[in-house]
Amino acid sequence: MNRIRYKQKENSQSELVENLNPIVKEWFFSKFKEFALPQLFSVKEIHNRNNVLVSAPTGSGKTLTAFLSILNELINLAEADNLQDRIYCVYISPLKALNNDIQVNLKEPLEEMKKIAKEKFGKDIDIRVAVRTGDTTPSEKTKMLKKSPHILITTPESLAIVLSSIKFREHLTQLWWVVIDEIHALAENKRGVHLSLSLERLNHLSEFTRIGLSATVAPLEEIAQFLVGSDRKCKIVDIQHMKDTDIKVLSPVKNMIKAPYEVRENSMYELIHKLITEHKTTLIFTNTRAGTERVVYNLKTRYPQHYTKNIQTEEALSLIGAHHGSLSKKHRLKIEQQLRQGLLKCVCCSTSLELGIDIGYIDLVILLGSPKSVARALQRVGRSGHKLHEISKGRIIVMERDDLVECSLILKSAIEKKIDKVHIPKNCLDVLAQQIFGMAIANVWHLDELYDVVRKSYCYKDLNKKDFDNVVDYLAGKFAQLADRHVYAKIWKLGGRIGKKGRMSRVLYMTNIGTIPDQTAALVKVGDEVVGTVDDGFLESLKANDVFVLGGNVYQFRYSRGNVAQAVGASGKLPTVPSWVSEMLPLSFDLSQSISKFRQYMEEKFKKKMSKKEIMSFIYNYLYVDENAGNSIYEYFKEQYNYAKIPHFKRILVENYNEEGKMHYIFHSLYGRRVNDVLSRALAYAILRQQKKDARISITDNGFTITCNAKIQPMRAFSLLKSDELRQVMEIALDRSQVLLRRFRHCAGRALMILRNYKGQKKSVGKQQVSSMILMSAVKRISRNFPILKEARREVLEDLMDIEHAQFVLKQIEEGNIRIEEIDTTLPSPFAFNLALHGYNDILKMEDKVEFIRRLHQQIIAKIALQKGKKGLKTKDDEIPEEEYITRADTLSDFSYENIWQKQEERKEAELKKRMEDEEYRKQLLIMQLKRAARKISLDSRIEYECQRLILGEREGFKKDFKDWLEGLLSGAIPPVWSDELVKFLQKAKNEI
Amino acid sequence: MKITGKIDIIDLALKIDNILIFADFHVGYEEALNKQGILVPRFQFQDTMDRLDKVFESVKGEVGTIIINGDLKHEFGTISETEWRQALKIFDYLAERCKNIILIKGNHDTVLGPIAEKRNLEIAEFVVIDDVLVCHGHKIDKDLEEAIENKNIKTIIIGHEHPAVSLREAVRSEKVKCYLLGKYKKKTLVVQPSFNLVTEGTDIARERLLSPFLKQDLSNFNVFVVSDKVYEFGMIKDLE
Repeated sequence: MNRIRYKQKENSQSELVENLNPIVKEWFFSKFKEFALPQLFSVKEIHNRNNVLVSAPTGSGKTLTAFLSILNELINLAEADNLQDRIYCVYISPLKALNNDIQVNLKEPLEEMKKIAKEKFGKDIDIRVAVRTGDTTPSEKTKMLKKSPHILITTPESLAIVLSSIKFREHLTQLWWVVIDEIHALAENKRGVHLSLSLERLNHLSEFTRIGLSATVAPLEEIAQFLVGSDRKCKIVDIQHMKDTDIKVLSPVKNMIKAPYEVRENSMYELIHKLITEHKTTLIFTNTRAGTERVVYNLKTRYPQHYTKNIQTEEALSLIGAHHGSLSKKHRLKIEQQLRQGLLKCVCCSTSLELGIDIGYIDLVILLGSPKSVARALQRVGRSGHKLHEISKGRIIVMERDDLVECSLILKSAIEKKIDKVHIPKNCLDVLAQQIFGMAIANVWHLDELYDVVRKSYCYKDLNKKDFDNVVDYLAGKFAQLADRHVYAKIWKLGGRIGKKGRMSRVLYMTNIGTIPDQTAALVKVGDEVVGTVDDGFLESLKANDVFVLGGNVYQFRYSRGNVAQAVGASGKLPTVPSWVSEMLPLSFDLSQSISKFRQYMEEKFKKKMSKKEIMSFIYNYLYVDENAGNSIYEYFKEQYNYAKIPHFKRILVENYNEEGKMHYIFHSLYGRRVNDVLSRALAYAILRQQKKDARISITDNGFTITCNAKIQPMRAFSLLKSDELRQVMEIALDRSQVLLRRFRHCAGRALMILRNYKGQKKSVGKQQVSSMILMSAVKRISRNFPILKEARREVLEDLMDIEHAQFVLKQIEEGNIRIEEIDTTLPSPFAFNLALHGYNDILKMEDKVEFIRRLHQQIIAKIALQKGKKGLKTKDDEIPEEEYITRADTLSDFSYENIWQKQEERKEAELKKRMEDEEYRKQLLIMQLKRAARKISLDSRIEYECQRLILGEREGFKKDFKDWLEGLLSGAIPPVWSDELVKFLQKAKNEI
Repeated sequence: MKITGKIDIIDLALKIDNILIFADFHVGYEEALNKQGILVPRFQFQDTMDRLDKVFESVKGEVGTIIINGDLKHEFGTISETEWRQALKIFDYLAERCKNIILIKGNHDTVLGPIAEKRNLEIAEFVVIDDVLVCHGHKIDKDLEEAIENKNIKTIIIGHEHPAVSLREAVRSEKVKCYLLGKYKKKTLVVQPSFNLVTEGTDIARERLLSPFLKQDLSNFNVFVVSDKVYEFGMIKDLE
């Protein structure tokens, strides 16, 4: 790809100096000795108006890198009295807080330059910077309109608003630069998709240079394309390597499994405390909000004298703070402020301090538990060592063996700079609808031109014309009857052109813009009593009769209505879903693959009967871990190898484990939960359809478990899943799911089909949810492919889940690169502990859980000892059914599961017919035929039941109405759904009752 | 199918002798959603007409009287032009098939006067047919209470509640409209499902019920599900 190129060599100091305005030069060298590396790489490019993506570490002066050349030119203009009242530069970041930081960071140098210009050059220069976000007051906005700023600092949402504001647009017609900060955080969600279209709208007004600033992310080429769109050039400056990172994985105890819970917990806090006291300011990431609170609480109570100042006085000052999304904005701002002032020893956050707002001096970052992706690990660790040549220091503390393996591979990938790939959503039709509406408000468009503009965005470069047309038709209200169209039409469409319709449209657009859905906590009720709240993502994952824990009590989920979950008390039952599931970050696919590879290498070593010493030395070399960690990893794999089998890169292990009559089928499919979500749902659907049994699923990153009260044949069902049919199967499987309904609500909101703000009224999430149910069934009637419904399915399958990699996995299985092997275990294997435990996690308190693991572990050790001498374990490798259950549909459009089941049934029927002599087979056949007939003509269930009694040989107690029915059926022309065998039987049986 | 005594279920309508009873059309339901900024496309009116066709196809013999048991229109207060037109069309449709139409007032029908006047309809609070009393069921005022207590009344028919049940099998759950048959103050009580085809209605096993007639233990009420035909589903308590 030629248009995207890496810049290989920096410019020289003198090359940069010669372009500098004397005022800027004076200012720069009063502050700095020389240009920093990111500046040497980027400033000249920006000066030459080349698009550039800069990936540089935090603290390397990224802001000045982007702005030096811009300020320089603006000062040139000001000096020559050529500076006009219009916007020259737009700066966009995802966070309002970051916007305020940048404003400060720009105003300060501008003030200083102004002073230099006045004092040394006798010039008056006035370069204006203004922030426009959702918080900006109307009077400030008016001020901006009257006297436009030269640099506008804004968010993606506010940018879209100004783009549809006629007056403000005039200030944007000669834009020179757009700077996008933290672009990696935008690219991976719909805010970024939305922004990419706003940039094309902006580009339609004026050509400009694009400057992207990014943290560590991969692949940079793709982020660069996201920045510049589908056909512009871009240079990539990648100088991430210039800052050294020092990351280690630490385990507080020598042997993770043997140490009792109290010891492990004590050691963990001792270790955290020790690390904090060795450093000036420590930032801790815990992944979950509850975890954040727990750590702060424990540190404070365990070491009161260290984390509270003036402990005896009334105004005791806390030296440790919590920071997460559920805390009030005021509290968070206070913590950020105290951090910058250096008043805190330690701040503990969930994920909220990941992005680049200025948090002052941090010299250590601690990660509690796995960050689940290499990029995220580097981003977090990069929050420390704010000056360029300081080393970023991070410590990952692990408490479990799965976490240990995972984090060791994160460490390896981080050191080897193997960053996991970002997923950029593509062809989002809801965002497209919103933006086309915004564009139509701004001016009249030719549809061909509009389509071209849209496709300049990287996220829409492959947008299908039909989808585009459908979205336009949706906006034009074409889906409704002509008479009703005025209600739905947001735009008019005539002669290949579109434009805005109605006076209300602008207000409607401005008040409903954006891509972030309203998310609030859902109420959990037992009858009318509110027992607590869960977030709506959690509610999304619940199926009827799931058991979960809330506030220490156990409840069983019944159904949800809007944002209310109805539950009943279920004390004594074991939970089937852990309540933290929604807060869990998914493991990246790339990372899951590296773990799988490591597992494979380990198995090879064991197979070759290498000594412990040899294997240990492999672990040290491969993983960069210390002896404690290496030892734990060795023991973990050794146990798994001895007791069961090691699932790995080329092997999915299915473990059948019987627990008090309940069957657990544990799939060791280490692909991350986004992939496992697809695989397990498709499988559960196949089981339901093929074996007519309800299966319960729990999903983790390392695999999933299917639990059933009866024996099922998961392998047979699994063999039904084919890579090229997976999408269709999933679309059917999702059809009635809560997750699709919820995502549909979000999409309908973005596409302005549900107006969250309308006529001054804000709709509650609950109201939106109830309405979206009616809305969804209505649009389904119009078309299964109604653009907003189609988008909801795409979002669930591609963004929330990862169907692409799920297909990849199935393909690997089909091609024989991955084998599925089944084993029976009487206890879950070591690797299955976490998978099997998934449901137990919350009911049992932390102590109990660990006690439980230890107990199971001891049992396994005892078992292994017993087995010594015996020949391995019984495996079932060869029992994969030979029969091909899916008769391949000729073309995909013909694909129908109904056909497949029908064919299967026919085959079974033929089989039974051959053995009609046998009474049992004959009964089976008749019942099968009866059920089919009953299904086809929706036979009264009581009549069906009575017929079944007849077939099973009963001749007593048949009521008159049934006899009448039978008489009626047999006396007239018998419909063909009744098979010959069945009719013959019924005729005979009729005379016997 | 007979639900009780001489009362027949004909799809979403009830029939006593030559009298047909409908309830809760909620004309303009989608329009009301539209007004709240939920842009649901409109199917309701056409669906209603089609379903009425289905009912009349199954009615044998002449219909002498039609009773609309409340909530013909959805919105409280003002009536929009669409609602006005559609309500009149429904009246005209019914008038073609029967001379005598009685409108029982429901809680949403505060401004029905003009519409009824335009088509010369009778408006009533409740209607008594032999031993059957028909009322909307949203409130029990003094007059109604007296009428119910009359010894000659054996059966009460109400609407208002929009009863529906959720039928479940494994992970699948379907909500369907249903009739309920139970007791109120020792009289037989029939609760009729709504003719509002946009939503199924209130899940009687799980949601809070509104009618004063139903503020009682419903577990022994019988359920008659309306689908392609009517299915008897036993008692509410057996559904779980």
